[in-house]
Amino acid sequence: MITAQQKPIDEIRGMLVPYKRILVLGCASCVAECAAGGQKETAMLASTLRMKAKMNNEDVIIQEHTLDRQCVKDFVVTLDDIIGSYDAVLSLGCGAGVQAVAEMFSEIPVIPGLNTEFIGETRAQGLWVENCLGCGDCMLYYFGGVCPLARCSKQLFNGPCGGSVGGKCEINPDVDCAWQKIIDRLSRFGALDRLETIYPPKNWSRKQGGGPRKIIREDQQR
Amino acid sequence: MHYQHNRTLALFYCQNVPGAGERERIGLEKEYGQCIRFYPIACSGRLEPVHLLSALENFADAAYLITCPEGMCRYFEGNLRAIKRVMRTQDIISGIGLEKERVGIITGSKEGPKTLAELAKEIFDKVLQMEPSPVLGKGERSYDYCATEAH
Ligand code: SF4
Ligand code: SF4
Repeated sequence: MITAQQKPIDEIRGMLVPYKRILVLGCASCVAECAAGGQKETAMLASTLRMKAKMNNEDVIIQEHTLDRQCVKDFVVTLDDIIGSYDAVLSLGCGAGVQAVAEMFSEIPVIPGLNTEFIGETRAQGLWVENCLGCGDCMLYYFGGVCPLARCSKQLFNGPCGGSVGGKCEINPDVDCAWQKIIDRLSRFGALDRLETIYPPKNWSRKQGGGPRKIIREDQQR
Repeated sequence: MHYQHNRTLALFYCQNVPGAGERERIGLEKEYGQCIRFYPIACSGRLEPVHLLSALENFADAAYLITCPEGMCRYFEGNLRAIKRVMRTQDIISGIGLEKERVGIITGSKEGPKTLAELAKEIFDKVLQMEPSPVLGKGERSYDYCATEAH
């Protein structure tokens, strides 16, 4: 999933200054899972903004609404009935959600309320960790299901680096050494020989080398 | 004897707190009128920051939570989680310039347990020392004052 965190309240308020009728728009998918932009967080932020506006005697209307998915056109289109009541949308979607809403409603400013962080996993309650860079050419098979691009601090394809101590990374003892994990897992499966290959530098052309990426699946199209 | 107060406290409390039964709550509601709004919850861990914020936004000068004592939570960790959520709410309100003390948590004591009535009075006395909330314009109060015989 995509992880995100709310921007500081002063930054958000700064971006909202010109607007008087604001829709705080949440998304009930990834950003709800990481407790940044779901229904609850949307209600909290809207309430906080209203309180600050009242304290400053600002004449603004701030309301909230949450879509099931802000990055899917079929859900965004449901805003059609209400969006005309506002002069700005404060989106609590990830960067893709913000842009999907902006793309569909080009006449209304859509302001990001979150900083989109990374593709990650919910490892425990309240703990999200980065584990994929979306490189476009997944090599997890060779590395026992542990991504050296996302999880090795030096992004080594032919690790470890020599600084690994007790399973921890030399850049920070709180960080697990990805290469220790790669070796442990490949050993468990009797597949250490996969590391006999010298892996060439990553071919990043599959990521953004060709400009913005898209996926087209004709079987999924109408 | 009647006293007049124009402060409102939103008081959320775990039903496990001594003296927190329905009958006691109804008695306290009569006593405090609009000054304290009582919200029993099955476990303090169910309280979300949005509940506290919503109270502060709409009617309360302060919003407090009373939990059962540490180690006594029927759901094991509810009261510990509640502490973190109250702290988060405090950070949020201080971010917009409201005093942190407008939100608080009282964890019951195993050794000297106090009743809901005792704790409500202690918290409300503290609220009376606060300035009226800058969020609530005078005209937005749901009452002008309330009178109680016990205070
Ligand atoms: S190899 Fe690429 S696609 Fe696979 S987990 Fe790593 S970054 Fe993601
Ligand atoms: S210690 Fe491990 S994770 Fe850290 S840079 Fe070296 S190989 Fe990568």
